Amino acid sequence: MASVLAPPRPGPLDSLRRRFFPTPPQALVSAVSLTLLLWLGWKVLDWALFSATFDTSGTADACRAATGACWSVIAARWRILFFGLYPYEEQWRSALACVIVVAMTVLSCIPSFWTGRRIALVWGVGTALFYVLMKGGVLGLPYIGEEQWGGLALTLFIFVTTCLIGFPLAICLALLRRSELPWISRTTGIIIDAVRSLPLISILFMFAIVVPFMLPGWLQGDKLYRVIVGSALFFAAYQAEIVRGGMQGVPTGQDEAAMSLGLNYWQRIGRILLPQAMRNALPATINQFVIAFKETSLVIIVGFFEILASGNAAFGTAEWRSAYVEVYVFIAFIYFTFVYSLSRYGAFLERRLSVGDR
Amino acid sequence: MTASDTSNAAVAAIRIEGMNKYYGEFHALRNIDLTVSRGEKVVVCGPSGSGKSTMIRCLNRLEEHSSGRIVVLGTELDDDVGNIDEIRREVGMVFQHFNLFPHMTVLENCVLAPMLVRKLARAEAEATARRYLEKVRIPEQASKYPGQLSGGQQQRVAIARSLCMQPEILLFDEPTSALDPEMIAEVLDVMVTLASEGMTMICVTHEMGFARRVADRVIFMDAGEIVEEGPPDAFFAAPRNERTRKFLSQVVGH
Amino acid sequence: MERLLRNQKVRNALLQILFVGALALLVIGGALVARQNLIDQRIVSGFDFLYKSTGWDMNFSLFPVSSRDPYWWFFLNGIVNTLFLGSFGLVLATMIGAVVGLARTSTNELAQLLGRAYVDFFRNIPLILQVIFWYAVLTRLPPPRNALEGAGFLLSNRGLYAPFPNIGVAALLVIAAALVAAVALPVWLGRTGRLSTPPDKRLPLKLCAAAAALLCALAAVLLGRLPDAPLLDMPGLQGLNVRGGMRVSPEFMALLVAMGIYGGAYIAEIVRGGFKAVGRGQVEAAQSLGLSPWRIFSLVRLPLALRAMLPILANQYIWLIKATTMGIVVGFTDFFMITALTINHSGQTLEAIFILMAGFLLINMSLAALFNRINRAIALKGNQVRA
Repeated sequence: MASVLAPPRPGPLDSLRRRFFPTPPQALVSAVSLTLLLWLGWKVLDWALFSATFDTSGTADACRAATGACWSVIAARWRILFFGLYPYEEQWRSALACVIVVAMTVLSCIPSFWTGRRIALVWGVGTALFYVLMKGGVLGLPYIGEEQWGGLALTLFIFVTTCLIGFPLAICLALLRRSELPWISRTTGIIIDAVRSLPLISILFMFAIVVPFMLPGWLQGDKLYRVIVGSALFFAAYQAEIVRGGMQGVPTGQDEAAMSLGLNYWQRIGRILLPQAMRNALPATINQFVIAFKETSLVIIVGFFEILASGNAAFGTAEWRSAYVEVYVFIAFIYFTFVYSLSRYGAFLERRLSVGDR
Repeated sequence: MTASDTSNAAVAAIRIEGMNKYYGEFHALRNIDLTVSRGEKVVVCGPSGSGKSTMIRCLNRLEEHSSGRIVVLGTELDDDVGNIDEIRREVGMVFQHFNLFPHMTVLENCVLAPMLVRKLARAEAEATARRYLEKVRIPEQASKYPGQLSGGQQQRVAIARSLCMQPEILLFDEPTSALDPEMIAEVLDVMVTLASEGMTMICVTHEMGFARRVADRVIFMDAGEIVEEGPPDAFFAAPRNERTRKFLSQVVGH
Repeated sequence: MERLLRNQKVRNALLQILFVGALALLVIGGALVARQNLIDQRIVSGFDFLYKSTGWDMNFSLFPVSSRDPYWWFFLNGIVNTLFLGSFGLVLATMIGAVVGLARTSTNELAQLLGRAYVDFFRNIPLILQVIFWYAVLTRLPPPRNALEGAGFLLSNRGLYAPFPNIGVAALLVIAAALVAAVALPVWLGRTGRLSTPPDKRLPLKLCAAAAALLCALAAVLLGRLPDAPLLDMPGLQGLNVRGGMRVSPEFMALLVAMGIYGGAYIAEIVRGGFKAVGRGQVEAAQSLGLSPWRIFSLVRLPLALRAMLPILANQYIWLIKATTMGIVVGFTDFFMITALTINHSGQTLEAIFILMAGFLLINMSLAALFNRINRAIALKGNQVRA
């Protein structure tokens, strides 16, 4: 009997060659990519880590003397970045409020919380806690008005309220849009399409500056809340289409079975259609939340002191003027952490849900 | 015409008079006249596109009839929302594709409507549900999700779900057409049991063996109209109409 | 009465009337309050203000605009600016997106890694932050005195100065028309069936068209030369500033770079999605026919990927045009900034907002219609073949 041959095992050099340099054009691509990767990587690491100044009590002059990144500016100015112009002694409240928002988001991602009631509870309680903490005036906390809110805390507040108001509004719009009554569905369609075709900046601008014209004096409200309503409207228009897409993915037989059991419209929507629709629409919904977080930065245009504006203020002094790159990189890093982790989670959910379909 | 007269046993379960249905220009149902008594079992057969499903879907307002009258258990089926709700409470339906709610367990599927529509307490609803799950012979699956059950099991759950509302009439829209052959028998057995207990049933099906066993009347529909009807022995042995004969020869052996 | 309310048809009619009525009430109420407020502030409603001169300047315009010009001219130039920035941004983003997208779809793992790093990095940072960042970098370049020089170009914190031929505006338009015709004419003639040569033999024809266009352009340059001026206007330092040449402002460059990089990251993903949508069976069939990798790519994968990409790409382009409104952050006078300035200076809030909304709706619908047309023209005929 012939002896059984073991499968051929290429040596390490051989497998490397096969993976990266199989043909001349591929070899060229590999060489170029590798050079780029190493060069960029070295430049970035050198600037950000090796030659950087990490001295937390350092001054700007010491920074300028060194060649790398000047992270001392973050150490010196982190309070303004995170809390804006919030009073110094009360900044712990702002910090706690930010932690609450992060906790809210994490809880929303856990599958066991995915019933209407629990999500509403988490977001409702979380937002209320945030508001009470930041504003004060009760429970012995000194009152601090919205004009003094700033930095990351303001960014998070705008994000949370936009989603809190926008999401129920989105469901309403989606239900109106898919109504069988032609006047209702067409009018809603026009509204949704009109809002979606406008740039968000113009909508924020309109709500900040134009809408006061159209409101009677007693309804004027604070500019912050007007802008939040505008932002929520924009969010709702996009999310409504996502929910509607999710609903279209629910087989019509589900609605028919519910009808034949005698359930009325609201029972069918609330118990049968929406739960299934939201499961379908979950990855796209998470994507929409991520976009909403990125777009909170636009309120800088209507004069709010959110994290970008506070970044400008952080290096705006004569002392730290040259450290603008470090500040922007730090802010980008904050955005990146939040946005990237949420998108990764969305991608993971999408894979998991589509596997279940098979 | 607003109260169903359940005390009078002579009231027909279903009465259709001169019913027509149009989809735009297409005449789907032509001059349907049909009376079904309480406890009667009617099997409707015919080629695809003959309007059989459309007709029974008109009976619980899943489709809206264009003209004519439909009276279910003494209540007229018209635009009155109250009438529609009342009829849907008393008429149950079993679908070809089961249509179980995938995000709820079997037990939750069964207790949902009794709790929401008949306003039963949870304990009572669950007791009823378990009784009917027992009847369809899958009590042990109560806490499973529909996706974890076989086709035959799902359809039996669907029957139990309809029964939990304790309807007077059960409509079946090709209940075994989506099942693998080895599972058809278990569902048909349940339906035979229901029939023997006196349930008023209208069943659209291709299962001619079932029709022979259970039906009081077999109806043949073609191109939107009732072509022939009669008791099963007469219907299968000596069909009077040419189209009936042609159809029966095509489904020989079932 | 109660019976009537229980009727399905009556309910439906009532609901529709109530809904539309409530909306109408909101709109009319808002308009009335607005009118009252405007009258209180002594602002005259109506579009007559469009003919009045503005009294303020635009810092960027393709056509000559001065503070004496009327508002409608400013609005028009604003739209032109938006479309100008948008087109360049689209082109840059598409180029970057194509390269990065191809890197991500290639079989080479290093290229894939680079592509993924690029996309993950630039997609997850807000566009406005990128715009502000690039603007900060560009405005911190050395002043004109110490400007960076290279090949006749000057880069300073006042912008990029490039040598530009000294020719009249008419000649420029002729050149642009010639270039467009050189591309569009053969395509149009081919599609409408007016050419007698078969498609694969049309290369000589296309080369002739290109040559003719170049000759036209050259002729326009030579003939359209401004008198008493050298052919090329070279930028040069005069005093504290740079004179001559074509100036690309730092605002424009910051927006362009940011839009190109950010848009490129999104387009890279769209490109990757397009290539993923090409069925494996298609590629395997091409391989078994013995086609070379380049031919497989250019004849099979690329055309099919393009068809899959196009609807999503259209959405992305529409989004990019809307993103030009970032101009207000750096002071680039695009359509939105003109509207904002109009409201600030003239107080004609409602009219300006109406013009803004109408303008963007028009731009969006035109783009959507254009892409629908292209989509239908290149779509796979019939529906039997599904990749």
